[in-house]
Amino acid sequence: MMGIELSPGAWLIACVVGAFVGLDEVSWPQAMWSRPIVAGTLGGWLFGAPAEGFLVGAWLEVVLSRHLPFGGARHPESGPAALTAGAATGLAATGSPVDVPAAVLCGWVIGWLGAYSVRALRGVTARIAGVPRGARDAAAGLARRHGLAVLLDGVRAGLLVAALLVPSALFVRLLSTQPPGVFGPAWTPALAAVGLAGVAGVAARALAAPRRRWPALAAGALVGAVLAGVSA
Amino acid sequence: MKPRRRDFARALLRSFSVQGSWNRRTMTGPGLAFALSPLLARIHADDPAARDAAIERHAAAFNAHPYLTPVAIGALARLEYEGEADDTALRLRAALGASLGAVGDQAVWAGWRPLCGSAAAIAFLLGVDAIAAAAAFLLLYNAGHVALRVWGLRCGWRSGRGVGGALRGMPFRRVAGTLVIANQALIGMLAALLIARLPGTGPEPWVLAVAVLAGLSGYVVPRRLSGLASASLLAACAVWFL
Repeated sequence: MMGIELSPGAWLIACVVGAFVGLDEVSWPQAMWSRPIVAGTLGGWLFGAPAEGFLVGAWLEVVLSRHLPFGGARHPESGPAALTAGAATGLAATGSPVDVPAAVLCGWVIGWLGAYSVRALRGVTARIAGVPRGARDAAAGLARRHGLAVLLDGVRAGLLVAALLVPSALFVRLLSTQPPGVFGPAWTPALAAVGLAGVAGVAARALAAPRRRWPALAAGALVGAVLAGVSA
Repeated sequence: MKPRRRDFARALLRSFSVQGSWNRRTMTGPGLAFALSPLLARIHADDPAARDAAIERHAAAFNAHPYLTPVAIGALARLEYEGEADDTALRLRAALGASLGAVGDQAVWAGWRPLCGSAAAIAFLLGVDAIAAAAAFLLLYNAGHVALRVWGLRCGWRSGRGVGGALRGMPFRRVAGTLVIANQALIGMLAALLIARLPGTGPEPWVLAVAVLAGLSGYVVPRRLSGLASASLLAACAVWFL
């Protein structure tokens, strides 16, 4: 069964939430409801699956955390990406082993599309922001221009979610409803696990740079493995 | 005229959107001027032309960590209030931008934020409700975030041109170093728990062994493995059909 059920109202709500999540990342108020664990949970919650959304968000948290926003460097936009991935999981997941990798892949792709859309918008913002030389009532003019830039960022994020929510949900649905091949049920989670471990190593190194703190990373992984065994 | 408490409150609230018009030409400059406006309006209440000139001056290129920009807002407002020459303010802006950026990037982006995120994700994986874990993340993270902004504005206003010395006296480096070590442990723990929670992942020894090798490789040669996320996710989806 390939279809998903999504009413226009629910789609619109997801787009509005996506706009606020996208705004938070850079423009306002940077309270970090754009972080994958929050945005993913929100996306899943909108479609009745907050725990699945959180799980996808936690994966994205590790996958995206090696990209640090130092000095205006380009990095994937986490908010709309995690919201869409979490919503796609809520809309389309079936509990198959391929659900999480498929949703995280969607989130990763949308994160980079978001980064390019932010870059394009900043070209526009460069033309509208600031204070014209010798302007009268500079404060009011500045506030108008600043507000317009913030508004445009929200619209951009909302449009990103509007355009990519349905394709993401269909992608997750397509994969999770297909019968797996001979190797699929074993290899899909194994590859995802190995990839996540590698990315966690890259992320830990990025956060520790320029020093190396691998013993702390190894100790944490060991404690995590023990806790996973205990709580299983 | 000396700014009032409500002017500081408005500047603080506006500082939450300091990167709202970030662009490659003037970066945070327009946002800085936007947040400074309530203070400048009070300081130059008798002289609208001086107020407009100050706003135009402060909308020039500037960049710093957004959470620490209130330090610059407070210090620059103090200089304006004390009638310091323009070049003093410009020199202070230039000096502050770089140092506030470096301090904030290490302490917040590479320290506090991943620490709170990993801790919340681990709590969820150990059985805390998803909504409660996300809400706990927001509360914990923003307690530090808002406190940093409030402290920054106070520190900037009290210190004025001596803000550099005040910043040097703060234990930012030590705190960031501690957070980095804690983050290493938390990321390792989070990755292990996530792998264990992935549907279909059994206790296959060879998978765990390869995962440990991948983690170490990622740490040792991060540049070579930076494309691993996309490749592994794509491969994990593709092999489903094999």
